[in-house]
Amino acid sequence: MDAFFASVEQRDFPELRGKPVAVGGSRERGVVAAASYEARKFGVRSAMPSAIAARKCPEIIFVKHRFEVYKEVSQQIREIFHSYTDLVEPLSLDEAFLDVTQNKQGIERATEIAKKIRKEILEETKLTASAGISMNKFIAKVASDMNKPNGQTLIHPLKVDEFTANLEIDKFFGIGKKTTEKLHGMGIHTGADLRKYERRELVSLFGKSGRYYYNICRGIDERPVQPNRIRKSVGAERTYSEDIGELEEQMEALSKIAEEVSRRMVKGNHLGKTITVKMRYSDFTTHTRSRSLDHFTNSESEIYAIAIELLSEHPREQPFRLLGISLSSLNVETKSKGGQLTLDF
Amino acid sequence: MKFIVTSSELLKHLQSVSGVLASNNTLPILDNFLFEIEKDALTISASDLETTMITRLPVKSEETGAIAVPARIVLDYLKTLPEQPLTFTVDETSLGIEISSSYGKSKVAGYSADEFPRNPEMEEASSVSVPAEVLSEAIHKTIFATGNDDLRPVMSGIYCEFSNEGLRFVATDAHKLVRYTRSDSKADKNSTFIIPKKPLNLLKGALSSTSAQVSLEFNTSNVKISFDDTVLIARLIDGKYPNYEAVIPKDNPNKMLVERTALLGSIRRVSIFSNKTTHQVRLRISGSELSVSAEDLDFANEANERLTCSYEGEDMEIGFNSRFLIDMLNNLNTPDVQLQLSAPNRAGILVPMESENEGEDILMLVMPVMLNT
Repeated sequence: MDAFFASVEQRDFPELRGKPVAVGGSRERGVVAAASYEARKFGVRSAMPSAIAARKCPEIIFVKHRFEVYKEVSQQIREIFHSYTDLVEPLSLDEAFLDVTQNKQGIERATEIAKKIRKEILEETKLTASAGISMNKFIAKVASDMNKPNGQTLIHPLKVDEFTANLEIDKFFGIGKKTTEKLHGMGIHTGADLRKYERRELVSLFGKSGRYYYNICRGIDERPVQPNRIRKSVGAERTYSEDIGELEEQMEALSKIAEEVSRRMVKGNHLGKTITVKMRYSDFTTHTRSRSLDHFTNSESEIYAIAIELLSEHPREQPFRLLGISLSSLNVETKSKGGQLTLDF
Repeated sequence: MKFIVTSSELLKHLQSVSGVLASNNTLPILDNFLFEIEKDALTISASDLETTMITRLPVKSEETGAIAVPARIVLDYLKTLPEQPLTFTVDETSLGIEISSSYGKSKVAGYSADEFPRNPEMEEASSVSVPAEVLSEAIHKTIFATGNDDLRPVMSGIYCEFSNEGLRFVATDAHKLVRYTRSDSKADKNSTFIIPKKPLNLLKGALSSTSAQVSLEFNTSNVKISFDDTVLIARLIDGKYPNYEAVIPKDNPNKMLVERTALLGSIRRVSIFSNKTTHQVRLRISGSELSVSAEDLDFANEANERLTCSYEGEDMEIGFNSRFLIDMLNNLNTPDVQLQLSAPNRAGILVPMESENEGEDILMLVMPVMLNT
């Protein structure tokens, strides 16, 4: 979906149309969750601190998010997807991978399907969507960003090689800011530059991700579209309207977050072994500390106790603007290790 | 109260039960040994609530009494002493323990013996008597296959199935399974129970130095194992053991006979070059040739070795986690073993060939790793 949250707001409040809009945050505090295209012209991006957004675009209008509405729209578009295929892997509320090799309506050309889905979305939600069409998830994702808003891009399998060779490194899905910097430092700017490195060189430089980089710069991505994504962690975090500096306040804050995390764990029927506390200082530097247990847990008191220990072991020279707790090494992960088959008990 | 004991004898007995001591006890009293003194004998207990181990040794004493002694201090102290007689004097009102050696005196504060957890009563217990060697072998050959999954506690122990036909011990972690049966030891009654790993590991150590008859008493919640001057009491794992017989394939038509140490050596060497997370090795069997290979694409590492074998069946290519194969081959001791296979996605069975012990039957099962191409 194009500028999803912001577009929904502009749809429902005509006075916002044609104006730079940011969802989430306020002029003073918080983070932009989504920016309308009018705001993007000024350089406003999602996940940008709203104070910076306001500086870049003084006319920007901040509106409160309405997650219930977004969820509803998300549900509508998922229903549309499912009328074409059940191989739908949601990436977020407004994005998903669809494997349409076999589709329910028997349409041969994927471009045709993308057009029809976008048309249906527009009719049903009055919102525009963009699509990328190609032979695997990685290329499709990159392609979907090339003709936004309200457009679609096809990368034909025969063009994949050329496409990835010429693609700028920072456009690769899965290569973030830090890695881009590192790669630029090595004189790597395009897919073709990256291809000069052998697999084992990339693995020794980037660990497991090196294998992924080696493949994607050649347009190789064997990952199937997984309708039920395996969840890797469960967490919750909060940004505070005023930075919190007192240990007691921090403990109080963590206790609420632990309660929320535990509630989500129980609801999703998860158990986890590794507890991570995320701390962001008022100057935006972010730290995480984690500890692994010898057993699985979803207990609020246990999560809280360990979170407090992790917090108290950490220097607290500045007040915090954000605190969060997450649980990983979930019990689902241990069940799916490589190709190892399991006895059917 | 007072007793005199040889330092090395006391240390030996303390060390034999000290394996029970847990590092993070919820009850501080469990960081202590319980000393119970009667005329010319000292009984020592260590417990973690789930498992209690008790041993007994002769000492020189006239009185009776009991005290809990801080385990770490007394162990550390005894390790520094050359062999010599030690005199322990306990002040029953202050609970102070004074140890006199040839070098001087040391004092440590003890705790009231009443705080130490009581051993469970073995009500309505059945019992079996087994030679130490049988129990020791059974534990050695199965314990490596037990699981560590907290969500499946039953699989973290050894399943014991006793009947008047024999004794059977089963361990599995859902990737590998061992079924160990002895027909030369029998029970009067049919019974099944699951013993946790920790007491069995302790028992494994203790049984290695004895040839006594071991008595096993058990009811629905506890097992009490006694031999020589040692007693081990453990809480059983509660729950239903998986139906292991159902997963053992009945018809594995492809059979490979191979020299055990040759295969073990080959897998050991080749697995060094395998992927560090999957530990995958590939067995390719064709005619009378077995090739063992592994590769790690990420680092461009690979290895390949060939072995001769005698093989009946269709050409096969199957992947396994090398660690499982190494564990299994290590825990067999016949010169030759047979690997029985049916398909690359079906369980493989490993059995010893021409075992010298007729009363022993061993079956090991391992699930394969799916090979991509």
